[in-house]
Amino acid sequence: MIADETTMARLMVLSQQGDKNAYTVLLSEASNWLQRYFRRKVPLAQVDDLVQEVLLAVHKKRATFDPNRPFLPWLAAIARYRWVDHLRKVYRNQEDELGDNDAYEESDENAVLARISLDRLLTRLSRKQAQVIELVKIEGHSIRDAARQSGQTEASVKVNIHRGLKKLSALIEKAD
Amino acid sequence: MNRINQDLIEQMADELTPVRSMKLRDGLALVALALLATVLLVALFEGLWSGILTGEASAFFMVTNGLLLVLGLASASSVLTMASPRVGGRHDGPKWAAAMVAVLPLAALLMLAARGGLAEILADPHGIACFTIALGASSLTAIALLFWLRRGAPVSLNSAGLHLGIAAGAFGSVAAGLACPIDTMAHLAIYHVAPVAAAGLIGRLLVPRLLRW
Repeated sequence: MIADETTMARLMVLSQQGDKNAYTVLLSEASNWLQRYFRRKVPLAQVDDLVQEVLLAVHKKRATFDPNRPFLPWLAAIARYRWVDHLRKVYRNQEDELGDNDAYEESDENAVLARISLDRLLTRLSRKQAQVIELVKIEGHSIRDAARQSGQTEASVKVNIHRGLKKLSALIEKAD
Repeated sequence: MNRINQDLIEQMADELTPVRSMKLRDGLALVALALLATVLLVALFEGLWSGILTGEASAFFMVTNGLLLVLGLASASSVLTMASPRVGGRHDGPKWAAAMVAVLPLAALLMLAARGGLAEILADPHGIACFTIALGASSLTAIALLFWLRRGAPVSLNSAGLHLGIAAGAFGSVAAGLACPIDTMAHLAIYHVAPVAAAGLIGRLLVPRLLRW
């Protein structure tokens, strides 16, 4: 089952009231949604960790959900925040590189997901910034590899990653 | 879904307790209380200027404090809203309000420069005192907004810090302004607006690290 916005918002309201069954369903659906959301935006082996971090944040900050507002943009904002935080922390790990087997199947992602996706954040960066963040922070290449592949100097790669992450932080909420 | 996620979900569901969702009106009430307490403290320690009620205050006094109040409201609303994560929140209101307030010192500097009176600013014997009192008077609102943000889940930490500082600075300046009988353009446009910029800078530099979650 893929829960829709209305269902998830209703489950969240019930969860805020202490309904454990509704909360279990909500978190399960949120977990599935997040798995799709983070697909190809972090190495596959790190997706579960990131999903768990977001679920914990949802649990801790559940009072910040406003029942008069939609649920998925609320969840997406938390997911973006955790994702940018994750990109900052992550270090290159060769084992975590995306391989051909990690290619995801195109599915009927709904309009809400498309609207608030992480890709939209990356498109707000300069081409050079987005390229090196994808190469180093998402695909796990070294600075040297990223410099070679992108045609930038190693110093430029570092600067572009630093500036790009800073800009991503500023865009978490602002970008549609 | 994997086993670890399933276990985590079951554990969190087990620990679930009812929560009251954060309401904007609660945040507004908190800020209003902080502002009221600030005004009372200013009245207690400095005494309010009676000229405001007797019509003695200049139009520039009213305009400056009115604009600062609007800036404080716009920035405080923005901060309160930021406590609840969302996508597509632009928070442009405080920027325009800040731009309007920035016209005051710019206009004052231009006019004073045109008539060769820039020295009037430095010669103001009460300027630094007003600046300091206004900055001090911004503390309560800053604490209230910080408390609200820490309860919430802000995702734009730098903006939240900047807007918090501006809101606190603007309200602090308005509260301090109620005790200040100097209603000249040079004094108001410089020494009552500068605390807002200073508080904004302090907020931008210090607050984000207090908000990480």
